[in-house]
Amino acid sequence: MKSVIFLLAGSLAMSAQAAMPAELLGGYAAAAGAGFKADAARGAAFYAKAFGVSAKMPSCASCHTDSPSQPGRHVVTDKAIKPLAPAANPERFSDPAKVEKWFKRNCSEVVGRECTAAEKADFIAFVTGGR
Amino acid sequence: MAKVLIWDAPVRVGHWLLVGAFALAWATSESEEWRLMHAVAGGVMIGVILFRLLWGFVGTRHARFASFVRGPQAAFAYVRGLLRGEASQYAGHNAAGGWAILALLALGLMTGASGWLVYQDMGGEWLEEAHELLANGLLAVAALHVAGVVASSLAHRENLVRAMLTGFKSGRPEEAIASARPWAIPLLLVSAAAAAWLLTR
Repeated sequence: MKSVIFLLAGSLAMSAQAAMPAELLGGYAAAAGAGFKADAARGAAFYAKAFGVSAKMPSCASCHTDSPSQPGRHVVTDKAIKPLAPAANPERFSDPAKVEKWFKRNCSEVVGRECTAAEKADFIAFVTGGR
Repeated sequence: MAKVLIWDAPVRVGHWLLVGAFALAWATSESEEWRLMHAVAGGVMIGVILFRLLWGFVGTRHARFASFVRGPQAAFAYVRGLLRGEASQYAGHNAAGGWAILALLALGLMTGASGWLVYQDMGGEWLEEAHELLANGLLAVAALHVAGVVASSLAHRENLVRAMLTGFKSGRPEEAIASARPWAIPLLLVSAAAAAWLLTR
């Protein structure tokens, strides 16, 4: 019984921590500096851009397809990847630590460097289909 | 003391396969381009460890768990002796090393199993964290194992790394194993290859 209560309390705490994509976007936009405004169109261009750093995965779209609301496919392992768009997959962009981890991993390999806060804000604006 | 055959061929080949596969898995852990290679390396580790667990019951004398798993007191006594420079010499694994082997096998298996679950997209973010934690634990115990090997090599004036390559180690003639059983190598390789193939499908 005690453990059930702990589990309940734990999951409540976790859902309270869960940041909405908009909050994450706001955080990155703020970090990008005064006067910065996230732009979905810029995010779309970034998403589609072939950076040419990796031969197998030149762009985000290489694995995530042209549309973030579609399920993707890993070009190396051929494993399915759940959609990036929170509208299609509510788990996305709900956990700041996970978002940071995957930006770090994928940016270093696809873009060839860490992504800037501005790029991340634009990216989230694009995948959330928002402003 | 004379050099006698202590480590059979599957123990030695399996040992270095694990070293290579873990190093490869570690090197490819942050990359998506190398994700398949990373999973293959993990599969090899699982295949080698499963073979080793079986070999721990049917292998040669010093490969068997029954011959090298000793109580914690014996392990502490060995380490204390090592620190004082008067450690008792074992033909096979020493009492502390035996525990390192068990920990390495257990951590290796758990790291591989959690990695497979992540690869199959089962479990969530917490499982990825657990996988990384287990891998860090495996590296820590491996480092401890290497430190122990260096300390014991110095204490007994015997190159234990070379012993894991050649199979020959200081011992009494009656402690030697009769055969290195090289015929079991293909079984080990089949186990490693099968696991790597099955677990990356």
